[in-house]
Parts: sequence; structure tokens; C-alpha cells
Amino acid sequence: MVSYVVRRVLLGLLTVFLVLLLLHLLTTLAIQLNGNPALAFFGDHVPSASQLHAVEVRYGLDDPCYDQPGNPCLRPFWERLAQYAHGDFGTDLQGRPLTELIAQAVPNTLRLFVIVTITWLIIGMMLGSVAARFRGRPIDHSIRLTSVLIDAFPVFVMLVVYRFIFTVPLTTWARRTFGSDSVPALLFKPSYSDSHPWLTLIVPGLLLGLTGCAPFLRLVRAAQLENYNAEHVRTARSKGLSNAHVTGYHIVRNSSVPVVTAVGFVFADALSGAVITEGVMNIRGMGNLLWQSVQKSDVSVVIGVVTILSVVTIGVMLLVDLAYAALDPRIRYD
Amino acid sequence: MLHRRLPVRRPAKALLAATAAIALFATAACSSGGSGSNSSDSGGSQKTIHLALGQDVDTLLPMDSNVGDNIGVLDVVFDGLVRYDPKTTKPYNYVAQSIETTDNKVWTIKIKKDLTFSNGEPVDAASFARSWNYSAYGPNAMANNYYFERIDGYDAMQGETDDDGNVTVKPKAKELSGVKVVDDLTLQVTLTAPFAGFSTMLGYTGFFPAAKACIDDIKACSKKPIGNGPFKIDNWNQGVELTASKRKDYKLPEVPNYDKIDWKEYAGSSSWPDFQAGDLDLGAPPPEQWQQANNDPDLSSRKVTKETADLTYLGFPLYRKNRPWDNIEFRKAISMAIDRQKIIDTVVPSQSVPATSWVAPTIPGGKAGTCEWCKYDPAAAKAALQKAGGWPSGKVLNIYLGKDDTNEAYFKAIGDQLALNLGIKYKLIPSEDFFAERSARKFDGAYRNNWFPDYPLNENFLAPVYSSGDPKNGNTNFGYYDADFEKAIKEGDQAPDIDSAIAKYQEAEHVLAKDFPTIPLDFSNSVTFYSERVDNIVINPFSGATELRQLKYVG
Amino acid sequence: MTASVAVDLDVSTDRQGGTWAAVGRHMLRRPDVIIATAISVFFILVAALPGLFTRTDPQRCDISVAKLKPRGFGHPHPFGTDVSGCDVLAQLVHGARPSLLLAFTVVGASLIIGITLGLLSGFYLGWVDAVVSRLLEVFLVIPLLLAALLLLSLFRNIDAGDSDFATIVQPAIVLTGFGWMGYTRYVRAAVLESKNLDYVRAARALGASDLRLMFSHILPNAIAAVTALVPTAIAGVISAEAVLAFLGIGVRPPAISWGIMISTGAPWFTGGYPYLLLLPLGCLLATVLSFVVIGDNLRDALDPKLK
Repeated sequence: MVSYVVRRVLLGLLTVFLVLLLLHLLTTLAIQLNGNPALAFFGDHVPSASQLHAVEVRYGLDDPCYDQPGNPCLRPFWERLAQYAHGDFGTDLQGRPLTELIAQAVPNTLRLFVIVTITWLIIGMMLGSVAARFRGRPIDHSIRLTSVLIDAFPVFVMLVVYRFIFTVPLTTWARRTFGSDSVPALLFKPSYSDSHPWLTLIVPGLLLGLTGCAPFLRLVRAAQLENYNAEHVRTARSKGLSNAHVTGYHIVRNSSVPVVTAVGFVFADALSGAVITEGVMNIRGMGNLLWQSVQKSDVSVVIGVVTILSVVTIGVMLLVDLAYAALDPRIRYD
Repeated sequence: MLHRRLPVRRPAKALLAATAAIALFATAACSSGGSGSNSSDSGGSQKTIHLALGQDVDTLLPMDSNVGDNIGVLDVVFDGLVRYDPKTTKPYNYVAQSIETTDNKVWTIKIKKDLTFSNGEPVDAASFARSWNYSAYGPNAMANNYYFERIDGYDAMQGETDDDGNVTVKPKAKELSGVKVVDDLTLQVTLTAPFAGFSTMLGYTGFFPAAKACIDDIKACSKKPIGNGPFKIDNWNQGVELTASKRKDYKLPEVPNYDKIDWKEYAGSSSWPDFQAGDLDLGAPPPEQWQQANNDPDLSSRKVTKETADLTYLGFPLYRKNRPWDNIEFRKAISMAIDRQKIIDTVVPSQSVPATSWVAPTIPGGKAGTCEWCKYDPAAAKAALQKAGGWPSGKVLNIYLGKDDTNEAYFKAIGDQLALNLGIKYKLIPSEDFFAERSARKFDGAYRNNWFPDYPLNENFLAPVYSSGDPKNGNTNFGYYDADFEKAIKEGDQAPDIDSAIAKYQEAEHVLAKDFPTIPLDFSNSVTFYSERVDNIVINPFSGATELRQLKYVG
Repeated sequence: MTASVAVDLDVSTDRQGGTWAAVGRHMLRRPDVIIATAISVFFILVAALPGLFTRTDPQRCDISVAKLKPRGFGHPHPFGTDVSGCDVLAQLVHGARPSLLLAFTVVGASLIIGITLGLLSGFYLGWVDAVVSRLLEVFLVIPLLLAALLLLSLFRNIDAGDSDFATIVQPAIVLTGFGWMGYTRYVRAAVLESKNLDYVRAARALGASDLRLMFSHILPNAIAAVTALVPTAIAGVISAEAVLAFLGIGVRPPAISWGIMISTGAPWFTGGYPYLLLLPLGCLLATVLSFVVIGDNLRDALDPKLK
């Protein structure tokens, strides 16, 4: 058992290291190809060599290897590793500590994800169960077609249209009817508001969740259909149990497990949708942070954010693997 | 979205993973629910103005602020030696009691007495010297560093680096030798060469004073600057919201009638829906909403338009030899093939006026019509192109610009007109790294340029943009050099008074008109819509921003 | 029920003409499949031969006729013009190609990689399987769109030229690079299943070479496993292209694609020019829907348990 744990942890560390190295190489190459962000600092004015150098020092990009395309820039890499080992995750181009940026961004994105997950669960389970229950009938087909339609619908179209057509009239109406600070008024507020984080995130989260729920829905339907034909269900039916009991007790419960698996992948997939949602709705979240820093070639932030995401993902998978190994002896002797 | 078949194996493991994940989400999300700022409308009876900060403001340090939004905020948090009259753009003394010179080289600045920073420190000569020395010191890498080039001792404060970026010479001095604190309220500045426009520069953000507590903790100061203006910063939730409130101990006259300002930050998305919903007091619609906004009778009655000095122009890399644009006839052809008014009417209606000069007419010394070929004449354009030897068939003209939807639409229209009128195929290349590439001289084609002045003087449109003192390479961005231009600029710098300086600078603009290195396109209008809670919207003619000190809260 | 179980066994032992013909018959009996096929074929035709549908150059834009509303056929601009004065119909027709070309390229390349890796790892097992499985794990951890975001933004300034392939090569590489995993796993599972079938073991005993075994006996089984995924995957890439276009990292102008039309047209929908969004969005949705319908029905036809 111990050797298994040690092996898995070492493997996890190795993966994290590889991710860091890969990111470093990619961002270094990008700077070499796109130009040093220090030059962008000066905007329309042209800097002298020493002014440029001073800014490069300020950005931590003063190593001459950044001027040579193809140079892997290993010295800055080791320096960064050493910093990470000491818990210093660096700063963005303006000197703001990365930990501060992430502390500000993570709660917003997590709240968005919670709403997205709930939306997926409710709509997916509901409609997926209905589709499975009435398999083959028109309602099944229409649910499947609608899910495909929503799936193909680009999320940004919904968000942009919602923001520019619906929010203003809805907010004005809600304020007039219920009052300025009422729940409906905040629900339809055109932009995210930091003083009412949950309320102003519900609608964006719902819209984002809508667009991603189609695969979920199909999975629920497929999982339940498998169970419909399974032996334990046929046994239950032949025992004379009602359809409702059979559906609720045996089918839904047994098909929940693969469904819950899917929820476990929400974090990774939904992050990409979050970039768009956070951008359009002006939410200061991880997706927006990553996107802005990639645009600005803000190396420290890009590497820091993606590393943290990878560490969390790998860490969770590692914990689960270990827990499973503790439960299932067969794995340990792999 | 792409569909992945999700694994349906090891149910227990999946369950554990999902439970862990959800537990993680929920605790993290819930535990930080109250992290928002709490200053939005808690003012009660306090009059609050709600504004948008459009860009990602990174710092509030005056020495490091050179972008429109930072400058706008700092205009109420700091006072400069001079301020600019919003209608005429002429400077008048504000913190300065008097600014005198006999030779335009040595300037004696006397400061009004009993003025203080928000932390109680006095606004004295030392506070200005402190700030200027900090900016001018090269290794501090302040954005406003180069404004002090004209002051004696600047060069000694910059280090030297070799081609590889290694520091060869560290800066010898930490202070400008040309700045002398004569006594508490008197500052004496010696320039490297006479410059009649020096007092005009002094109102710019880079010349604001700094408290000692600010320099001592510069990091804290960039988040919460210690200013000498009517407002002080209360709290800055970076990336989200910035709040300021009126100082009680402010002595000078220019104070607005409201008590608090609440800036909400919009990084990349539009603030227009918030303005329409009544959450902001000033706003401007994105191009797609423009027509609707203008057709709305209520909204358009609350609109202010003003011409600004913001110039957009087309440049060519004259540092690349043997190109079609080396020939002035080619550049004339391009300029006359562009129907500026039509493009403005379609892409940015009422938001720009066609440019016919290199200096904005609203600026002292600026005059419309100095550009002879800035009119739309497709026949003359074709003739000029032929005179230049034509455009090699099949060759594509690259047009470079920064990433911005409106600018891209605008320059696409320009390219389309070149294709229609001159048969030149083009390719639009918007890039996030535009500034870096331009400074590195990577362009091989035409490119968009934009200039808005730092201080109201025609010299600011000419010298910083075209002057180089380098006959071999020309200036960095365009590779332009003309000895007559440099001479006229120098003579303007040395002129005995501001009016004769302006006349000399106008001569320099005429040299530009003759050489025609760049093609002026338009000057922006600043168009602002305002809510029913505010009035007296005065737009600063050279920054395009609304004068916050003139803004009146009417409830 | 029992009849279809028997069919299941048949399907796995003999994948020649008979079953595919049965699949085809099953699908063509359904009206929605017929319509879907017609629509897909139509748009593929539009992408392949744009000249048949419009003679206007989508890049010939005259700003003096900008923002014209659609007037119907017979008029020089049947679907109107966009904000720069470019003909919308011409853009729709020429915009089909990058979207569809990207989709087919990505799915085709992912298929080839997936089938190859799946075959090899399933057939040989051992260290080949170990390597492929590790690769699978690493790539599965990284979400597709996140990788696309990162890679395409970091390498935004690389200009590959103007040909049809050049405009899609960057997104194609990234989408393929993070899209091959599903096929590999399906094929590997199918290979593992087929390896133990009697006729395969018999062929091996008779001395058939590895290659012959793989291609003649095992591959046909494996292909059926992934075929049902293909139309849905094509639809997915077409949608993904729109998202990439919105972020500015997909097909680059001056090439025009449906994604670009949708992302530039979306804000104008609320500004009084709805056709700028609705027309390309309609084409996208119609194409995606038809491919998904085909894919769903194909999967149902091949997997009787879900019928």
C-alpha cells in the first residue's frame, strides 16, 4: 500500500513538473515571437535602451534569452521553480501578487460553476429522465432535438443578446415594480456586482449551464435506458411495483453514478465557457484573468494560473485514486 | 462544444471525485461571499457620481500614469501647478502662485502657501522635486520618465545598456541637477535648452507632486495615492471598483458639488447597458447601439458632443527602402483614394471629423487645411498612383493595427476603398502586440497610428512624433527625418515667447505637409450621454474626457 | 428484444455488406434523416463549389452600400450587405468552406490518429499500450477549449498565408491535438473485444501476419465503433469554430467564416440589423443539427440496445 501511495504521489509531482516546463517553454516562445510586453508599456512613445531595460527588469523579463527565438530560457525557469518552492508565486506585470489576483478571481468563478452545475443537474436529470421514460415517443425526439439545438447555439450569442436586449427593460421594470434593491432587480442587472455576488451571477450561470447541458442530458438518458432493460428492473416490475417506484428507486439511483462522474468534469470543461461568460458579463473570474493575461503576454500570471488549475485537477484525481485503492484491494497489487 | 464519451467505469471512484469537487466548490464559494466592496450606495444622503473606468487601470501613481483613465481619476485626486481652461485649453496658475522666466531656460516657480496633501503633509517645492526626481530616475521605470528629458541632469539619471540589454553604466545621479528647491515655496528649474512651452507642460499628470509618505511606501501609494486635490481615494478593489470622497480640508476653489465618486471597472466589456439601466451617470454606446441611442429622443437630449484633439493617422515604414510608399506620389494616391467622411458616417457616425492637418485645430497653433492631399478625389488618386509607377499586380498591402473592433471596422473600410479605387489588394492585420511590433520596426505595410496630446501645444503633435535628430535612421516609428523640420522645431524651442514659438512650430508642420510622411485621417469627437442626475457636462477638448470638476450633481 | 440481441451477435462477427446495408435501410426509412442528409449535402456542396451559388466576391466591399437590408433574389444584394458593404450572400457561401473544411480536417485527422493508436495499443498491449494510456491520461486532463485558448492566443502572430488550408491550419492543429482521445479509447476497446473472437483466433492460428490481422479482421469491427461518433464530432467542430472566432483566435480575416459572421453580427442584432446575425446563425444551426441527427441515428442503428 505504501509503495502504491508513494508511486502515485511521485507520478503526480512529475506531471506537475512537466506541465510547468511545458508552459514555460510555450510562453517563452510566445514572447520571443510576439515581442516583449515591455515595449508595449511605452505605448506611442519610443523608449531609450536604458528605459526599456528598466521596464524589463520591472517585469522580470530582462534575461537576454527573451530576444532569441528558440532559446528555451532555462535560467528563468529554474529561478521560477525556486520561487514556487518557497511559496512565492510571483506578481503580474504591474507588481500585484498572483495570490491576490487568484484570491479575488477564484470565488467568482466557483460561484458561477456552482450555478452551472445545479443547472446541469436539474435540467439534465429532469429532461433526460423524461426522455428515457418516454423513449421513442415524440417528446423524446423533441427533447433530443432541442438539446442539440441548444448545444450548437454559441453561448456568446445568447449572452450578448441577453445583455443588450433583455437586461435593461427587465431591470427597469423590476426596479419600478419591486424597488431598487430588490431581488428581481438585481437578478437582471446588466453587469456583475461585487456587493451582490450570488444574485447577479444566477442568470449568466444559467445561460452558460444551458449551453453545456446537452451532453449531460444525453448521458442521463443513455444511462437510464441501460437500466430500464437491466435485470433488476425487470425483476422489480415483475414483482408488481408501480412504474413510478421503479423509475424513482431503481433507475434514477443507479444511473446517478455515471452522471455524477460527469459533474466531476465540470471544472475543466466549464472553464472555457467561463472565459466567454466572464468577458461579456464583466465578471472578474479565473477565465477572464487567464484570458486577459494571455493577451498581454503576462507570463507569470499565465503560468501561475494554469499550474494551479493543473495541480488542483491532478490533486483531486490523486486523492480519489488513493481513496479507491484503500477501498479496493485489487488495485494495490497492480 | 465537442462531445467526449465520458467514462462509465469505477463508479465509486467517480462518486468520490464528484463529492470532493462539489464540497470544494461550495465551501470556497460560500466562505468568500462577502468579499465585495461595501461602498456602492451606502452614502445615504451623500451625493454620489457613478462612472465607468474603461480600461484595466493598473496604478494610481501620477509618476506612472499616462493612460486616459488613470489621468481622469488623478485629475480630481491631485492638483498640478497649472490647470487648463476647458474652453480655450490655455493654462492658468492653480497651485502655482507664479511661474516666471526671463530666458525660457531658467524658470522660477512660486507655490501658493498653506496647501496640504490629504495626509497633512505640506504641498511645497520639495514635494514637486521629490516626485519629479522619482520619475526621472531611470531604474524606477516610471511611465512618465521621458517628460523630464528637457530638464538639466536628466541624462545622468539614466543608465546605459549595451545591445544585449546588459547594464554597462549605472545612473550617476539620483536627482535632477536642474531642479533646485530655493526655499519652501520656491522651485527653480533649469532646462537643457530654452523651451517657451515649459509652463504649458506643467499641468500634465507626470508633474504632480508627491508626499513623502508616498515615496516611502510606493507600493501602497500606487493603490491609494496621497493627493493634494479635492478628492481622496477611499478604497480600490482592483479590477472591480474604485471609490473616492471629498476632502474636508481642501482649500482651493475648484471643487465639484458632489461628495463621492464611484468608478466601476469594465475590463473588455461594454458599460453601456449599465448606463441605460441607470447605474452609471456617463456613458457612450458601442457602434452597434449608436443608431438606437441617437434615435431615442430622451437619450439624445442628454448628449454632449465636442471635437477633441485625438488624431488618427496612417503611417508607412519609411525605414524600409525600395518600397512603393517611398514615393510621395504613392502616398498622395492613398490619401486621395480614401473617402474619410463616408467612412466616418458609416463606421463611427458623428464621432469623428475628417482631418486636414497634422495638428488639431482646437489646439493653440493648430490650423485646418495644412494637408493639401487630404481630400477625396479618386481620379487624382489614380493619376498619382500611375505617376508613382503603379502598384505591382498581385502584391498585397498589409495594414497593421491594434486589436479593437471599431478600429478594425474603420481600417477595413479604408482597405476596401483602396481596393475599389486603386485596385490594391489589402490584408488587415490586427495584433495585440501592435506597440511592441511598431517600436521594433517589424511592419512592412501601412499601419494605424493614434495620438492625443499630453499638453495643449502644437509642438506636442510634432516633436515627440516625428523628431529624431538621427539623419541616418530617422525616428523609430516611421524612419522619417528632415533637417528643415528639425531646424524649425529647434527654433520654436528657443523662441522668446510662446506665440513666436507657436509660429515656428507651425513652420515645422508645413515641412511635414510638404514631405507628407504620414496621412492624417480624422480627429475624434468625444460624445457623452449623461443621466438625469447630473448636468453641466464640459468636455476637455484635448483629452476628450468629461471635466469632473465642472460636473454638477442635480439629483 | 431477443431478435435484436441476436442481431447484435451477428453484427460483431460479420461486418461486411449485409449489416451496412441494413443500417442504411434503417436510417433512410426515417424522414428526419432524409431531410438532415439533404441539408448536409447541400452545405457541403456550397462549401466545395461556392461559384455555383454566388458570383459576387465577398471581399469586394463598397462602404457606400453598407447595411442594406435583404431584398430577395433578383436584387444585386439578395441578403443585404454588412456594415462594411460586403455582400452577405457571398459571405455566407464562401464562409461555409472554412467552417466545414476545418470540421472535416479535424475529425479526419483525429480519426486517423485515434484508429492507429487504438489499433496498436489494443493489439500489442504491453509497453505500447502503457505509453498510449499515459498519453491519453495527460491529454484528457487538459480541457480542449482551454488548450485552444492558450495555444492559439500565444501563437497569434504567426501568419501561415492566405490559402484555404492556411487559414484553418492553426485551429486545426490544436483541435486535432486535443480531440483524438475519444476515438483511441473506442477503437482500443473494440480491438480488445475483437481479438478474442473465434474467427480472429482462427486466422492467427492459420499464420496470418499481424498487419493482415489488424486490417482485414479487426479494423472493420473497430471502424464501426467510431463511425457513429463522426457526424456528431463534425457538428461539434463547426460550433467550436464559432466560439474561437468570437475570441479572435479561429479563422482569421480576411478569410470569412460563419463563426466570424456570427460574432461580428451578434451585437448588431440588438442594434436594428437582425439579419446580420440570424442568417449565418441559421446556416450554422441547420448544418449542425443535420449532422447530429445523422450521427444519432447512425449510433442507434449500430447499437440496438439503445433502440
